[in-house]
Amino acid sequence: MKKGRFLLRWGAIVALLVTFSLTGIEAMGVVKQPVASGEQRADIIMIDTLKTFGKLEEAPVAFLHDQHTDALKKQGKDCTACHETEKDRLSTKFKRLKDVDMGTVKETYHANCIGCHKEMKSQGQETGPTDVSCRSCHSREVKASSNWKAISMNKSLHYRHIASDAIPKGSEEANCASCHHKFDEQSKKLIPAPGEEGACSYCHKEEATKDVQDIRSASHTSCVSCHVDVAAQKADSGPVTCQGCHSADMQAKVKVVKDVPRLKRNQPDAVLLTVADAKTLATDSKGLMKPVAFDHKAHEAFNDNCQACHHDAIASCATECHTVAGDKKGGFVKLEQAMHKPDSQRSCIGCHNERKAAKDCAGCHALIPEGRTSDQSCSSCHAEDAKLDGTAQIKSMSKEDKAAMATAMIEARKPAGIFKISEIPEKVLISDLVDTYEPAEFPHRKIVETMYAKVAKSELASAFHTSKGTFCQGCHHNSPASENPPRCASCHGKNFDATSNARPGLKAAFHQQCIGCHTAMELEKPAATACADCHKERK
Amino acid sequence: MNRRKFLGLVGATAAVAAAGTSAHAAGNTHFTGHPEANAVLFDATECIGCRKCEDACNKVNELPKPDKPFDDLTVLDTKRRTTEKIYTVVNKYENSKNPNLPVFRKNQCNHCQEPACASACFVKAFKKTPEGAVVYDESLCVGCRYCMIACPWSIPAYEYDEPLTPRVMKCTMCHPRILEGKLPGCVEICPKEALKFGKRDELIKFARNRIEAYPDRYLDHIYGENEMGGTNWLYISGVPFGELGLEEGLGVTSAPELTSGALAAVPVVTGLWPVLLTGLYAIHKTREKIEKKEKDDAVSAALTKAASEAEAKLSSELEKADVANKRKIEVEVKKAVEEALLPKDDDDAPEEEA
Repeated sequence: MKKGRFLLRWGAIVALLVTFSLTGIEAMGVVKQPVASGEQRADIIMIDTLKTFGKLEEAPVAFLHDQHTDALKKQGKDCTACHETEKDRLSTKFKRLKDVDMGTVKETYHANCIGCHKEMKSQGQETGPTDVSCRSCHSREVKASSNWKAISMNKSLHYRHIASDAIPKGSEEANCASCHHKFDEQSKKLIPAPGEEGACSYCHKEEATKDVQDIRSASHTSCVSCHVDVAAQKADSGPVTCQGCHSADMQAKVKVVKDVPRLKRNQPDAVLLTVADAKTLATDSKGLMKPVAFDHKAHEAFNDNCQACHHDAIASCATECHTVAGDKKGGFVKLEQAMHKPDSQRSCIGCHNERKAAKDCAGCHALIPEGRTSDQSCSSCHAEDAKLDGTAQIKSMSKEDKAAMATAMIEARKPAGIFKISEIPEKVLISDLVDTYEPAEFPHRKIVETMYAKVAKSELASAFHTSKGTFCQGCHHNSPASENPPRCASCHGKNFDATSNARPGLKAAFHQQCIGCHTAMELEKPAATACADCHKERK
Repeated sequence: MNRRKFLGLVGATAAVAAAGTSAHAAGNTHFTGHPEANAVLFDATECIGCRKCEDACNKVNELPKPDKPFDDLTVLDTKRRTTEKIYTVVNKYENSKNPNLPVFRKNQCNHCQEPACASACFVKAFKKTPEGAVVYDESLCVGCRYCMIACPWSIPAYEYDEPLTPRVMKCTMCHPRILEGKLPGCVEICPKEALKFGKRDELIKFARNRIEAYPDRYLDHIYGENEMGGTNWLYISGVPFGELGLEEGLGVTSAPELTSGALAAVPVVTGLWPVLLTGLYAIHKTREKIEKKEKDDAVSAALTKAASEAEAKLSSELEKADVANKRKIEVEVKKAVEEALLPKDDDDAPEEEA
């Protein structure tokens, strides 16, 4: 008996250890996620409406919207088969206008989904699940994967709406007011807002508020409803299905209007960007950064829509959100960061950096460290020749004065160009390192001409290549721009030395410059490994 | 052995084990490399796959001529590894950042700060030099090839076709040239300085500055700074190192550090386990002995008891039987006497019966 207990005890300990190690492995193991497979669709709606009433008891239903639209179309039914109309607009909700309570909403779905499926089945039509098995619809496995892509109202699409016959064109006001409106607090009504038009997302945010719909409902009730109505009049209309707007394929097929006329919303042609928040202007009377003359009209042409810069509101960046000190409204992003953050597409520098990555520019710019600023960097925007200095003067200037000053400053900017072609050496013989190869004959002038031709028309380049020597500095870097830059060997020694400024050795300096630029510009010839294409092998 | 003795023994074991670990920890301080050690930094964004480094390596180390010349770049289409005749190979990989532009990586001995090959070698044929290179002494080698199994990057190769004096072959970081103040052959020839030679700590500083200056060009990681306790061949790249065929899951612990724990456990296991197990056996045996004795005693006691009980019962039974017999005799005697005293009238009975 005693011996039995002894064995039992040890047995129990061993068993415990085994269980622990096994459960331990289980706990650490990767839980398999259901893999979405099969086709890609842009119309998958996960029906999880009941989550507003508490924790979901069942998995959300993956509902393929366009599949249902098509099926109903075949029966001669339209959107109203599922969506009710409220104030001439289709509700995005299914078979109801309001979410009353959990029981009602649940019953709405169950009765109508299964009811319709059953009806179709009785007519011998192909249809969805008709059984009462929950998992037929509430399945964790989604058979298709989503390729939903947000659609943006770009200039071209916007212009096509303005020009559309379906939208009243009588007056500008009526035309704009077809879509643009504002919420009147007093009358609790939507009223036209001439001169205050902005992007939908300025008011319609991700989450709905008491008075304002969320962006999803707002765009679907407005866009789809209108498209449906216009299509009903047999006129040329926009998409009414999910895929029509939200699949990448369909987006690629959207007709693009080139040379869209400039939008008219009383926006300025030129802006004098100053430190515009009242607090800073009141407390700091001098020593603020010099203003920047901003060519608003030119930048309108470079961007798809106003939101590219005016991402959250049309108002000036600095007045409320991106103040000098940073504000909660602007996510504490200070004015300096808002304008200069190198990794933000909305900041000046961030957007310019993106342009510099284009292959015509990358030859030089890929080799220049990102975010590096030289003495001239600040003054290329914050113009030294600006007569303004300090806040006191800015405060006393009227809006018109500022605009006039900005216009003058922009006009004063003249592309610097490059040195006279005759002054640029035609060929340079690189013979510093002649060893196993003959000297390389470098077609200096041809290269300068070819490279300059690629950027001569770029407004960005002409705005920032501020002296004749700037362009030369792509190769003749780190020394002041000059007609007679120093030889490479003045700075680059024989070998790399991590301690002395970590400059490449002379051989690498040449090769990195030539091959690096060719690679960045995606020039295929000569290949990086074709040594003899540049310098003949010494026999 | 009694309970007290056993507990004492267990306590002693624990103490020794604890002392053992602390001694091991103290003896294995974190080694951060020789202060003056050299290193090579490979920049995958600079390498163009020209194979000049392979060529230079071959010449400097006087290795046999390869089947295909070094300017034949078609060999890059196959993934190659280092062999006993080729200390370094350049391989081509797909570039996940830009599919039109393949990336290249040079492969060779990484010259670990605490080399796995050296820790696996029981004759100390591999040695880490203060200059940074891991060098091999063929006069000591016994040909066990543990080094080849130990190397996390599978670099050392063996001269299988040398029947009499086979050696383990691998990159030496051109240690003899370094001692002469020259650059390693591959570094010297590289046209784009994709290979940079310098003091390890300075190269790390350089690499950090470079990553900071070109955040889009490089991943924020220097491979080899900490991998396997750090190596003297370092890598920076624009694509994940795994895509360049560099194992990413090696961890930051050096091979000797990983194995020293297990090896330090050997004396504990060999010294203590026999004592412990013998102790357990002894306890078990004693318990069995006691149990047997108890059982024997009980059996004999039971037997004695049973015998005496049986005897007592017998005697009482006998007594009882005696009394009963006596009574029976008495009764019989009485009966006989009574019968004898009764008058004789037996004659009537047979008549009635008839």
